Amino acid sequence: MQAGTQSKDKSGWAWQRSLPLLGVSIGILLIIGPFMAGLVRSLLLWVADDPQVSLANYAWLFTDRRIQTAAINSLICGTGAMSISLVLGTTLAWIVSRTNVPGREVFKTLNLIPFFFSPYVGAIGWIFLVAPYSGLMQTTTATLFGGPIEGPNIYSLAGVIWILSLFYTPYVYLFVISPLQRMDAAFEDAARVHGAGFWTTVRLITLPLLQPGLLSAALIVFVTSAGLFDVPLALTATKGIRTMPTEVFALVRYPSDLGRAAAFGIFITAVTVALTLWQRAHLAKRRYEIVSGKGYKPRVIELRRSGKIIALTIEIVFLMTSVVLPVLALILVALSPLWTGKFNPANATLANFNYVLFEYSLTRQAIMNSLFLAVTGATIGVMISGLQSYYLVRVRSAFKSFVDALLALPLGIPGIVLSLFFLIFAIRTPLYGTLAILLIAYIARFFPFATRTITAMLSAIHPELEESARANGASWGQTMRIILLPLLRPALIAAWIMLFIIFIRELGASILLYASGTETISIAMLLLSENSVGYVAALALIQLVLLLIGFSLFRLTRAPVVQ
Amino acid sequence: MQGQGQPESFVTISGVTKKFGDFTALDALSFSVREGGTLALLGPSGCGKTTMLRCLAGLETPESGFISIAGKVVFDSAKGINLNPEERGLGVVFQSYAVWPHMSVVENVEFPLRVRGISKEERRARAMEILEIVGLGQYAQRSATQLSGGQQQRVALARALVHKPALVLFDEALSNLDAALREHMRLELKALQDKLGFTALYVTHDQGEALGLAETIILMNAGRIDTSGLARDVFMNHRTIFAARFFGLNVIDCAALPEMADLPAIVIAFQREHARITRADGPAEDGNLILSGRIVTRSFQGLVDEYAVEISDRVSVRVLDGDGQFAPGEQVKLVIDRKNLFLLDH
Repeated sequence: MQAGTQSKDKSGWAWQRSLPLLGVSIGILLIIGPFMAGLVRSLLLWVADDPQVSLANYAWLFTDRRIQTAAINSLICGTGAMSISLVLGTTLAWIVSRTNVPGREVFKTLNLIPFFFSPYVGAIGWIFLVAPYSGLMQTTTATLFGGPIEGPNIYSLAGVIWILSLFYTPYVYLFVISPLQRMDAAFEDAARVHGAGFWTTVRLITLPLLQPGLLSAALIVFVTSAGLFDVPLALTATKGIRTMPTEVFALVRYPSDLGRAAAFGIFITAVTVALTLWQRAHLAKRRYEIVSGKGYKPRVIELRRSGKIIALTIEIVFLMTSVVLPVLALILVALSPLWTGKFNPANATLANFNYVLFEYSLTRQAIMNSLFLAVTGATIGVMISGLQSYYLVRVRSAFKSFVDALLALPLGIPGIVLSLFFLIFAIRTPLYGTLAILLIAYIARFFPFATRTITAMLSAIHPELEESARANGASWGQTMRIILLPLLRPALIAAWIMLFIIFIRELGASILLYASGTETISIAMLLLSENSVGYVAALALIQLVLLLIGFSLFRLTRAPVVQ
Repeated sequence: MQGQGQPESFVTISGVTKKFGDFTALDALSFSVREGGTLALLGPSGCGKTTMLRCLAGLETPESGFISIAGKVVFDSAKGINLNPEERGLGVVFQSYAVWPHMSVVENVEFPLRVRGISKEERRARAMEILEIVGLGQYAQRSATQLSGGQQQRVALARALVHKPALVLFDEALSNLDAALREHMRLELKALQDKLGFTALYVTHDQGEALGLAETIILMNAGRIDTSGLARDVFMNHRTIFAARFFGLNVIDCAALPEMADLPAIVIAFQREHARITRADGPAEDGNLILSGRIVTRSFQGLVDEYAVEISDRVSVRVLDGDGQFAPGEQVKLVIDRKNLFLLDH
């Protein structure tokens, strides 16, 4: 810090106080700033070039049929995806944590892969798989059986729910697997020996004990599914079926009415915030310890042959449909010079990759932009989050639980809503149309993920480790540098990689803020999706490779994925 | 007791073997309990006592053997019988209590009746009745998480008794309680058992708990029975080196001391209370075993002092002595009455 011994202590104290507060302040500004911009804009109405304060936008919001339809569609998507991923995620977690299914350790990791993949890319992959007339499944069945077997229409709400369920199943899985593994086995054993059969025990004991985790997972999947822009855009927007996020997009674009869009955004924000606060209050009441130090670990259930086959089938179908098949479709499309629904190995070419990587300036620039945003954004995000975590865990403050709740709010707010607020905030400033506004929006939307990861680890580091360094004469700055940061390093790296992964695939927060020259990979895929499916597939695969690198690094850090 | 006739075997365990990989947790274990009897499986951790309890409850499946409870065969490897835990009709008090945190006290207790399809009114009444007996009547509506350790233990006990099981298993039931509460619960358990007349099997590593609760004790070592018999007998008459060590006696290898080379045993063992310390120049005492040694430490234990006495550079013993005033470093003689010596050869 400072050279002078006199001022060393004082300045150390100042840093110790001000740095964590700085991180918290930036976080709060990133939330409150755009929200206020959106709120003000939603209350303004231009009458003959004069802005007037009015509730007209809200009046319109609650009477417009399109909004109602979009809200109902989002509700359907959220509920559907939530239900399916709850069942599937819990089942998968139970299979790998409680049974002797062959390869359970490998499946434990593989089940997480969809968590790191992009739902947008998954939706595109599934379009190539089952699109009417041109999908791989249709053309393959046509060749095999003489006529195409048309599956359910992917361009529908059911299609959206299907894709969302596949990609959000790992969320539920993550929330459930840890309590399933560590729960005191005596809870279930006590039910069995006192007369309850296996399924009665699951119903009366196991599931209720998992309830806090299940509830958190259900809420996250519901809010994220209902607010996700990418998948409905890819599957239903062109068919005239809109959900809330695609409706926000439409309100900004055709025709542009920022006031109404802002009112809609404020409404969506209010609903998600209310849901999040309700869940916090509910969980605070029901937080009980199910891991008792005296207990023993749950037994592994010896599956019979039929049970093993069923468990393996569930695992394989999940991994095939969420990862293997869509990626395979993308590879086949990317290798074809002209996609006709059939793959001809004789014509296979890397031309599409060559084009998007080296020749086409839009895609080349988009890849560079995404990499820049991901690396810079993750670095800044981790710094801010690290300071926030220090504040939340180490600093004594009366406002701590309030700050904690406030800083977690962006977790539920749809990316497109936040970027709408940033658009309103920045539209008349030089920030508009720059990478910087994208960077700020990304960080604002996603820093809570990093904060949670770091906070979890920091809470597990005993303060005495730092105190003993201070007692031995180290300044606060030295203590941070020599003691705390090295101890926290795994969490910092894990948080960095997590932000990197999210930023590489991000679409919802970019869609309203990009301009010519600041396109990202996902934006480029969207722009090209109308006419150049080969380039889209090649871009999607390049994105997946970046995500896969992130995933592998993440596993190497051995950090747990924090909910 | 059963009177003159053959002691009726209510719980029969015969040739039960359980392995975990290469480790043999239970090695052809056989024993029985009479109806209304109490038996304690006693032993250090890893001796197989908890595994035996879990095999009885149906929570582990032995490789081979036979188990019957109250005339019902619950496990028979020869006939391929293996009843599920819920079909064995037991009550179990777990070491961690396993009181379900998402249920109230009375919901916990009425669970065994609920899954047996007993009507809501009846099961509530029976649960309240047993809660009164264990002294938790006024806590019935509390959430289980609001209870202290001792109260949770009573909930677990009430839950294990409410459906009037023929056999109740206790897995280290008292070991998580503090000393005063444990003594209180021990007396209460005995009273409850007299009142309700169930057959009880306790698993414990604590000799005091076993002696206080059970009429018969089986001391287990490495998956086998080391010593079994009436509690008093097992405690007073040590027949094996393992038992002598487990009960905290001084055990001395005869080959280590020349003055014991003529004894017809591999080791001798004696209680700490059974050695008297006298000055090294004290009078000779015939008929007793005399060992010379040096006081190493003295620690005050209330009414008596406990001394560590070094007899040779390889042998040291612990002795309780009330009246002598000996200081560390002092040369002394230990006088042990030969009738208090256990001569053990296995």
